Amino acid sequence: MDTINVSFRINGEKATVDVKPYETLLETVRERLSLTGAKEACGLGACGACTVLLNGIPVRSCLILTAEAEGADIVTIEGMKQNGKLHPLQESFMKNGAVQCGFCTSGMILTAKAFLDRNKKPTRKDIVKAISSNVCRCTGYRKIVDAVEEAAQNMQS
Amino acid sequence: MILPKFAYAKPKSIDETIELYTRYEGRACYLAGGTDIIPLAKQRLVAPDIVIDLKNIEGLKAIEKNDDFLIIGANTTIFDLKKYPLTKEYFRGFYESLDETSCETLQMRGTIGGNILQNTRCLFYNKSIEWRTARGFCFKMGGAVCNAVPKGNICFSNYCSDNAVSLITLSAELGFVSPKGERRINIEEIFSGNSIKPFNLEPGEILTRIYIPMKKNSGAYEKIRVRGSIDYPLINVAVALKDSGGDVSIGGVGPAPLSYHIDSVDENSVEALAQKAYSDVKTVANTVLTPSYRKRMAKVLVKRAIKRALQEVK
Repeated sequence: MDTINVSFRINGEKATVDVKPYETLLETVRERLSLTGAKEACGLGACGACTVLLNGIPVRSCLILTAEAEGADIVTIEGMKQNGKLHPLQESFMKNGAVQCGFCTSGMILTAKAFLDRNKKPTRKDIVKAISSNVCRCTGYRKIVDAVEEAAQNMQS
Repeated sequence: MILPKFAYAKPKSIDETIELYTRYEGRACYLAGGTDIIPLAKQRLVAPDIVIDLKNIEGLKAIEKNDDFLIIGANTTIFDLKKYPLTKEYFRGFYESLDETSCETLQMRGTIGGNILQNTRCLFYNKSIEWRTARGFCFKMGGAVCNAVPKGNICFSNYCSDNAVSLITLSAELGFVSPKGERRINIEEIFSGNSIKPFNLEPGEILTRIYIPMKKNSGAYEKIRVRGSIDYPLINVAVALKDSGGDVSIGGVGPAPLSYHIDSVDENSVEALAQKAYSDVKTVANTVLTPSYRKRMAKVLVKRAIKRALQEVK
């Protein structure tokens, strides 16, 4: 089957890839672009481990065809670091011990980033609702919510 | 999980879409948000030769309003619709069903059109091809048995849209375009009543717009699911209060939502309606919850939803 030529920006850099029409964005970022921060767990859109930002919106990259991402601006966990400095969310996840096995972490951080970008002063309840899109099988939700809460405060000051 | 092989196209107009569909002689799937169709493809429950992406079609993502109707483009995402101020102000039950659909990340991708036209689901149908091959194909897969009900002679899979029930209580209409032309029908007319093929749709028909009559009402939506953060409804109830009575719709059980109208919302009428819902709802063992629990919850949810809708009026 013919490949499709797709161009997009990923973590601030331009990328052009020839992909199969039935290739998911997750396969492309992991296997063609070697950005392995986004994980595959359920593969059916239930868990959120594969979350990336597509034009600022969190999406399940396992449910998106790369062909759909033509012209999009994509951010993966690898693109969160700016000028050698970690994002406040990454800092607070480490500080609060919000990482156990780490498999859900990249998705959690990207979902939280998109959320904090649209809600600067969230309540704890808002945070719980926002990250409920992502599943943590270690069930370490409390520290994740703590970390997002602290990052929200740090990002304001 | 790997997708089956298919071609991909992103046409810019409805005419071009229908031309493509006709050229592939129907071996095509429409793609909007992809939150439903991609998992189905991964499990080989759909196997199209081409996936036709509808997201480039102009005008399908707009929300407009005139004196009579709120007109929603079918490609509007659940999240955008939920955040549209009029939704919450005018149609409380619909707002709640949008908010309760899956999780926010999927709401940002999934569309209202896709949510209405989702296929029916069953514990023994939404499985991998390997699982289904080992178990044997059921009616919905073209086989000759029901895997949920021993000796069952029909398909019992459930229609699990969160938003169709609330749209029914709002008397919404749907606009379609097909190779045969355009049509606009009441939402309840799309249901065939047969779980194998749940919709009365022409081949290649595209849902373009949803029309909701601009009548402000109070309402509520109640849903049972296993995980509060995600999941399809295992039974759901929507209520819209109108004048002294109200419209109630129950979904998540069988091929199509049930709908009721009551003239009064006094205690006796509500009790009678809840009792009627309990007898009408035909649950079978095809979800993760037991049939008896889902049946009993029909009664509870009807009462709970009406009670909440009434509190809102005060």
